[in-house]
Amino acid sequence: MLFNSYTFIAFFLLLLILHNWVPFSWKTKKINLLLASYIFYAAWNPPFILLLWISTLIDFFIGKKLYHEQKKRSRYLLLAISLMGNLGMLAFFKYGGFLLENFTLLINAMGFDYQAAKPNIILPVGISFYTFQTLSYTLDMYRKKSEPENSLLDFSLFVTFLPQLVAGPIVRPNQLIPQFKQPHTANQKQLLQGLFLLSLGLFMKVVLADSMLSASADAVFGATQPLHSLDAWMGV
Amino acid sequence: MQPKHFQRAGIFAGILIISFIVIWEIFWRSQGFPISFNDDESLWSEKREQVYKPIDEATVFIGSSRIKFDLDIPTWEKITGEKAIQLSFVGTSPRPLLDDLANDIKFKGKVIIDVTEGIFFDPNEARANSSAATAIKYYKDWTPAQKASSRLNKFLESGLVFLDKNKFSLNAFLNEIPLHKRKGVFVFPLFPRGFEMNTSERQNFMTDDFVKDTVQHNKQIANWIFFGDTVITKGIQGDSLTTVLNKVKKSIDKIKARGGKVLFVRTPSSGGYIKTEQIVYPRDQYWDRMLAYTNTQGIHFQDYPGIANFICPEWSHLTPADAIIFTREFIKILEEKGWKFKTTKNL
Repeated sequence: MLFNSYTFIAFFLLLLILHNWVPFSWKTKKINLLLASYIFYAAWNPPFILLLWISTLIDFFIGKKLYHEQKKRSRYLLLAISLMGNLGMLAFFKYGGFLLENFTLLINAMGFDYQAAKPNIILPVGISFYTFQTLSYTLDMYRKKSEPENSLLDFSLFVTFLPQLVAGPIVRPNQLIPQFKQPHTANQKQLLQGLFLLSLGLFMKVVLADSMLSASADAVFGATQPLHSLDAWMGV
Repeated sequence: MQPKHFQRAGIFAGILIISFIVIWEIFWRSQGFPISFNDDESLWSEKREQVYKPIDEATVFIGSSRIKFDLDIPTWEKITGEKAIQLSFVGTSPRPLLDDLANDIKFKGKVIIDVTEGIFFDPNEARANSSAATAIKYYKDWTPAQKASSRLNKFLESGLVFLDKNKFSLNAFLNEIPLHKRKGVFVFPLFPRGFEMNTSERQNFMTDDFVKDTVQHNKQIANWIFFGDTVITKGIQGDSLTTVLNKVKKSIDKIKARGGKVLFVRTPSSGGYIKTEQIVYPRDQYWDRMLAYTNTQGIHFQDYPGIANFICPEWSHLTPADAIIFTREFIKILEEKGWKFKTTKNL
């Protein structure tokens, strides 16, 4: 779901009303936020929501075990499982094509006539963000930097919270999870400031980036010949 | 900034935005512009999704801009009782669309292929396929979010004239700034605003103002000349032509093998266009050869008095009034050729 689409505006307004003006309990509001985050992600490609769930569950349970485990070997093993699960997923989706291409080139250079089938891997949106976010939690547990999270709901929301799910920034557990513990309702000042920032962002995206500057950026990034440094900077 | 100031600024901005939108909408309506939908990949995908209707419930149209202007979909649907699914793209060969339908084993319906020789036989596949290839890819990757946006966009576009991106967006106005010619920069010529409107069924039509205004006709004719459409060159020949015909035949055979039906149509053109087309693409070497090669029925406008004498205001497309007449006559000819429809009403 693109932030600058009518669908997102309708979706966001509904969520804002449910969160700010309907007298649900704090737990219900968090469940609403979590479900909304899943819908937001699934609206792009529903099956990929499984990756989010896998990432969430692996790190929630492994993190907890890691924190309480005393044996060094078991701790290494648990950390390795988490790293392999998360980074394996990232490597497959993000670098699968690149690795296969290089492997094919290497085999060909060695004199073997081998052509791999085209992998056709779709890159799940935001995979780097949520992978590194859950990993940061596991590493904190490994180093015993913070307490493990006992609520699966809060941890899932930490992994999936829609404002930063697909575009970051990557946040540390102690920056976000404590905020889920206390009920929050935006006051008028916060709502107005938020609306101001959203309007400014929307203007920069729709008017400046997509309308006025996109043609120049496309021309620079699509250039087939070396560019003058000033031209290259203009594209950025 | 204090909340009080934010609130005032917000209210002021809101009033400005709403006033501007209302005035902007009223202005364009007063200029004679009707509702027109963005003819984007989402709208195309919505139609592409409908091709699986049973063979006696729908006909799929693929081609270039002529069939989009010349087929009046409400007339077609009223007379035949069947759905017309318009998949054509302006300035684009129907070959990739035919290929897409042929390779979709679930498609077993009727297809009518509109032939504009200069585009249909374009040997430059990349140029001929660009819009179609993009839309086909978009349809295959169509996400739930895009589907939801498409429905919401359609709802808004059905009530607001200024949401027509091609005519009233910021980019459309920026493109109208008369810049000096720069070396190496191709500037796409401006089409008159009233030339190409689009319904939610993907039918193109000219506005009343455009139909009445010969200055605008001449502007559009000048655009066709700018594109080189009236330059006498040599049409595709030899092996290149055979390759194109082979591909088309292969696709048609696949559709027919599944029980589908295919027919070619050569929609009207006039003025400088038809003169050039007759010289560059002689009928016996292209149209007749293609029908024989693919063993497929065809309707050439010049063979039927009911559709032979249309005058296209800008040489290439019919007016909305003529599109209704053309569609009625076209259905009659199809019936003469053995095509059966759910109902045939005399209108």
